[in-house]
Amino acid sequence: MKTDANHKEDDIHPAARPFLFLGKQSVKHNFMWIVLSGMIICIVLGFFFPQKHPLPIEKYIPGSWAVFGFLAYSFIVLCAPFIFKVLARDENYYGEGGLPDPEYSTEHEHDGDRHD
Amino acid sequence: MIDILTLINPGLWIIVAGLVCTLLPVGLLRKTLGLCAPIFAAFMIFTIYPFGGEDVISGKINFGGIELTTLRIDKLSVVWGYLFCLAGVLNAIYGLHEKCRITDSSALVYTGAAVAGVLAGDLITLFVFWELTAISSVFLIWKGGERAYAAGLRYLAIHVFSGVLLLAGAVIYASANGGDFTFGYIGLESPGGWLLLIAMGIKCGFPMLHMWMQDAYPKASITGTVILASFTTKFAIYALARGFPGTDILIWIGAVMTCFPVFFAVVENDLRRVLAYSLNNQLGFMVCGIGIGSTLALNGVVGQVFLHVIFKGLLFMSIGAVMYRTGTAKASELGGLFRSMPFTTVLCLIGAASIAAVPMFAAFVTKAMILAAAVEDHLYIPFLMMLFASAGVMEHSGIKVPHFTFFAHDSGRRVKEAPWNMLLAMSLAAVICIVLAFPWGGYQLLYALMPFGETVNYHPYTVDHVVFQMQLLFAAIFAFTLLKRRGLYPSERRAEILDVDWTYRRVGLTILQWISAMWARLSVLTGRLRAKVTDECGKRLYQVFSPAGRFSEAAPSGLTAIMTAAMLVFILMIAYFTR
Repeated sequence: MKTDANHKEDDIHPAARPFLFLGKQSVKHNFMWIVLSGMIICIVLGFFFPQKHPLPIEKYIPGSWAVFGFLAYSFIVLCAPFIFKVLARDENYYGEGGLPDPEYSTEHEHDGDRHD
Repeated sequence: MIDILTLINPGLWIIVAGLVCTLLPVGLLRKTLGLCAPIFAAFMIFTIYPFGGEDVISGKINFGGIELTTLRIDKLSVVWGYLFCLAGVLNAIYGLHEKCRITDSSALVYTGAAVAGVLAGDLITLFVFWELTAISSVFLIWKGGERAYAAGLRYLAIHVFSGVLLLAGAVIYASANGGDFTFGYIGLESPGGWLLLIAMGIKCGFPMLHMWMQDAYPKASITGTVILASFTTKFAIYALARGFPGTDILIWIGAVMTCFPVFFAVVENDLRRVLAYSLNNQLGFMVCGIGIGSTLALNGVVGQVFLHVIFKGLLFMSIGAVMYRTGTAKASELGGLFRSMPFTTVLCLIGAASIAAVPMFAAFVTKAMILAAAVEDHLYIPFLMMLFASAGVMEHSGIKVPHFTFFAHDSGRRVKEAPWNMLLAMSLAAVICIVLAFPWGGYQLLYALMPFGETVNYHPYTVDHVVFQMQLLFAAIFAFTLLKRRGLYPSERRAEILDVDWTYRRVGLTILQWISAMWARLSVLTGRLRAKVTDECGKRLYQVFSPAGRFSEAAPSGLTAIMTAAMLVFILMIAYFTR
């Protein structure tokens, strides 16, 4: 295990200090609007610079790749709970290696925020 | 002197270096060899086949009546040759901190076998290096510790089986072609062609044949996973590109291959396994491109392979660095690491942008070629499947891997930045990802390597391509942020996600255990009968296989080789399952 035991909780890398704002809840929350703006700009640009070789159906869908990307991504993520329910088993289901090597792993040792 | 050297397959130099490494107790010497051997092999490739030179067919050996061409360098194989040498150097830098003789030597033999394999001119030589990649790489998996032992055995069994299929296919294919073992276009006209396709399909992770990858890669050592991700599957892609360009079935196999891993990756907690699914998904684009078979598609495949080795290596390296420092690669255990590993974070983000085909980053200039080729050939459904998979790539590699490792919640882990050698290897990979996608003189370097057609008539940086690609990417990120905000994005949970390997790891094993138990009971009752049958079989086998037997009279030696190989596999599998 390579974790330095002397590292303190606030032992931040100097190069990361100017970017600590990225961890703020408000920044995470408002990041969505930046992305939304980018998407809208690209959709608008799509009207002025249409695809040279679109699929036949794409002519009738403004911002076709944005629509497709949003739906595809959402579909994949929304399928996840169902897939997890069907396919997930205990980590040691096969009894040979789902669990980490106790000689090496630091899993279950950290005390950070709850993962959600 | 130099003339003699040019007759030797350059991959063999790396293999020899690997064998020498097994005898070297001094780590510094092994590391020097690890760095120098791929560079020397690349130099030899250049010496034998200078840019713009004639195709080279050399190193001919007559072996048992079959003429082997141990060295063939042309526009196609030279790309893989240089690529594998480059990957060998990056991997060697990444593994400089690791003081392990087994890793050093097996990494070199594995790299050398891959280089030698892609430079092989006939199917028998291909088979030899095909098997050598499997045998040499399994040690990298076993270095993952005790929990990797069974996965390594399964990996070995599956790859040896793939090799046996390759040999059987080669013999049948050659029999149908007047004994010609030359490795060129194969096609599916003969049964041998189908066997060869399945053999290659196993190695490059066709749907339902893919599970060895997600089983073994995450259990290998940290350096081992990075090395494994570079060669085996890309070697198989080369074989497909050489043997089966324009084979229609590959379009659909590839399209399915791009889609199904995204559903597994989204629920997987082990980030190295997520990347293994991602690897499978990227291979799908390549297989689909080979199936389309047009000049544009095949050049796209070559470019995609070249960049994929680099950016996928970069992603595996960054997660490996995190694992090296934190002791885990589980998403549920990580988060907030940008505070303590900022350089690794930036490098991982470059890898993520590269695989997601963000403009100015690697895959943007190559993946679009395959998509454009699909539209050009009016293959709209495969095109839409690949577009869907592109959103999936954004999900698992573009967002999930960097987000849950370096951002998301703060796991409270405060660790050191990655070692200098890891940072150097990742930085070099990142620079390649950016340089080869640079609009002014960058991607043109990559396109100059593409083997099909006189020049590549494709321009990735058109306004409409950039705009529509950004639409897709922004929409995917927007969906992520929205779902996350609404609490609809699933949290990472520790679990074993079942895949196709369940059929043999659970169902198959249970059946074998039942048969074993029944057999134990039956054997008590049928001892005498068995002895009689065994005796009779022995006599029959002697009549067939002995020097005076029937096979020795007229049957081709190839058939005996198949039978022997098949029996070997059968016995290996019995031995494994009854272990």
